[in-house]
Amino acid sequence: MKQNILIGVMLVAIALLIALPWYAPFFYIFIFTEILILGLFAVSFNLIFGYTGMLSFGHAAYFGMGAYTTAMLLLHQDWPFVYTLFAAMALSGLLALVIGFLCVRLSEVYFAMLTLAFGMMVFTIAHSWRDVTNGSDGIAGFRIKEFGLGLDLTIGNPTVYYHVTLVVVGIAAVILYIISRSSFGMILKAIRQNPERVSFCGLNIRTYRLASFTIGGIFAGLAGALIAPFLRVASPELMHWSMSAEPVLMSILGGTGYFLGPFVGAAMFVLLETWITSFTESWMLFLGIVLALMVMFFRKGVLGTFLDWWMNKND
Amino acid sequence: MKTFNPKNLMVSAMTAATLSIGAGGVMADDHPIHFGGIYILSGSAATYGEFAQEGINLAVDEINQGGGILGRQVEVTFEDSQGKAATAIQAARKLAYQDNVDAMLGLDSSGVAQGMVPTVPELQKPFIITHAATPDVTGNLCNEFTYRISVNVPQNQKAAARIAAKTDAKRWTTIGPDYAFGHQTWEYFGNYLKELNPDVELMEDTAFPRFGAEDFTPFINGVMDADPDGVIISVWGGDLVNFVRQATNLGFFDQGYELMFTVGAATEVLDALGDRMPEGVWLSTRYWYDAYDNELNQNFVKAYMDRYDHAPSYNAQGAYSAIYAYKQAMEAAGTTDGPAVAKALSGMTMEATNGTVTFRKADNQAMVSPTWGKTGPMHPEHGIRTLTDIQVFDGEEISRTPEETGCSL
Repeated sequence: MKQNILIGVMLVAIALLIALPWYAPFFYIFIFTEILILGLFAVSFNLIFGYTGMLSFGHAAYFGMGAYTTAMLLLHQDWPFVYTLFAAMALSGLLALVIGFLCVRLSEVYFAMLTLAFGMMVFTIAHSWRDVTNGSDGIAGFRIKEFGLGLDLTIGNPTVYYHVTLVVVGIAAVILYIISRSSFGMILKAIRQNPERVSFCGLNIRTYRLASFTIGGIFAGLAGALIAPFLRVASPELMHWSMSAEPVLMSILGGTGYFLGPFVGAAMFVLLETWITSFTESWMLFLGIVLALMVMFFRKGVLGTFLDWWMNKND
Repeated sequence: MKTFNPKNLMVSAMTAATLSIGAGGVMADDHPIHFGGIYILSGSAATYGEFAQEGINLAVDEINQGGGILGRQVEVTFEDSQGKAATAIQAARKLAYQDNVDAMLGLDSSGVAQGMVPTVPELQKPFIITHAATPDVTGNLCNEFTYRISVNVPQNQKAAARIAAKTDAKRWTTIGPDYAFGHQTWEYFGNYLKELNPDVELMEDTAFPRFGAEDFTPFINGVMDADPDGVIISVWGGDLVNFVRQATNLGFFDQGYELMFTVGAATEVLDALGDRMPEGVWLSTRYWYDAYDNELNQNFVKAYMDRYDHAPSYNAQGAYSAIYAYKQAMEAAGTTDGPAVAKALSGMTMEATNGTVTFRKADNQAMVSPTWGKTGPMHPEHGIRTLTDIQVFDGEEISRTPEETGCSL
């Protein structure tokens, strides 16, 4: 019964998202495009953090890699948009594979520190290699005209771009969900809970960790590929450690234990930012207070706390 | 018309947070004309944003006291660009779609301007740049909605090259922020100087510290080791304040170099430095409050100093003038409709505090000149260095030709 209600709520939410441009103020199309993209970024991070139990502090490197790939292909090669998404996923995945290979041999805080170090290295390259990345100004002025696949979509139109984002993020979320529910996903969860026991079963933990890290990187790259045409610029800030912190905060806000938790966290993050910055410049202070309360009293995040309470309620 | 008119709570909340200072209140039958300003309001260059706000608020109050524009009162909402292109683009979308502004102005950073300008036509609102100087926005990135009332890099550097060519310095280098502005300053200065004086040497040893860097010591030492004759310095904002302090301590100003600060006479910086800004160096500014002897300027400087107790900077003046440019364009167009106002700005000539200013049809750039001058004694009342040997050039003459801009409007 409760399962059915949940599925019903999901369907209504999806319908509301699809119909958003017809009832919400125009500005909210931008807000929700951002929520969807950052939500995918956070979910890709949560595969590594919430499922596999590795706290990566350099996840923005793959996000930024995707953004630069799309921006540069659009600027220099005039590729149709949809192909740049695949290119971004491939390159971000490759970067995650290389960095992950060096990082997954460590765990706990050492893993976090090493991913942070590599993340800042990628940031510094983007920031300093002016001939290729245009330095701190980033890649801008690229045109977005053709979608590809023979579809006649004006993706420069914010409403169209919102729907494109919704479909792409939707497909990516389904793929990630299937991965997380597969036997592979179960092994990742087991590794989080008890790595020794998993390795006693004869499984190579490092390989699984690396696979998880790389898949996370691929989908972070996809999110990055979506954000560049949205912001109309790919700049080094997208790779900065403070950008790496955002999926961490979103996952904790929404809840790491549920697949959709990071999406809820992303929505809270972006909406709070939009509303609070209308009144004060220091919105980070408010975010800090909210986060401190969450971590102290609602460890499972907003979605996690609510679902656990509701599922356990006797009626 | 496909503009959207959100009648939701956010609008009233935003309006409450808006600086709307009407003398007679809002007219019953017509809502106020709404401007959106995007400036750096946080970080090391935040004073620039504050001065721009002061200029805009002064213009808005004057206009409201004089009956408004098209009989409507005027109000303004400010957004912080944080000096980042992505933030500024989002802010412009918010202003255009959420706050429903009629026109926009602002932008301090060249990097931000380069990212943002290509997106302006989507918003269908006119945008007057009041500070950012990159040639690209009235060059290869130009469009029919984007205008610039302030001096750009080529104008400033053509003037700089003329001054530099008259000095004895032969070996030139640069210290500038590591983004579009610093690199383009050096490029244009070098090219113009070579044209005037083919014998000069443009050195390989240049220094481009990160914008917002706290410590300039290694860069200052590097330039001193290279031992140039002249240095063109495009560091600006809070960075310039830090730079001058550190350079003084390292003896940089005692080396006998010919020093030219391309945006040195920003009163924000001069205020902060006081007599620590050395005497006898060349400073440039897009506008110098003491350089224009016309009634508009006298009234502006007096009103500004009475109200804020410091001299108006070029950023304050640019922002102030842009509001008046919109007033004239809206009255000429007879409407606040975005495309119509943008069209009215094209080729428009206005009387501004720095003389007669024309937005050139070919690239939407105002034909204006920087003011260069040598730092003299401290001003007895204003607490900042005076400028001596003041040089103002003909705006049209020091601008790129329309063909050189790469803009096709």
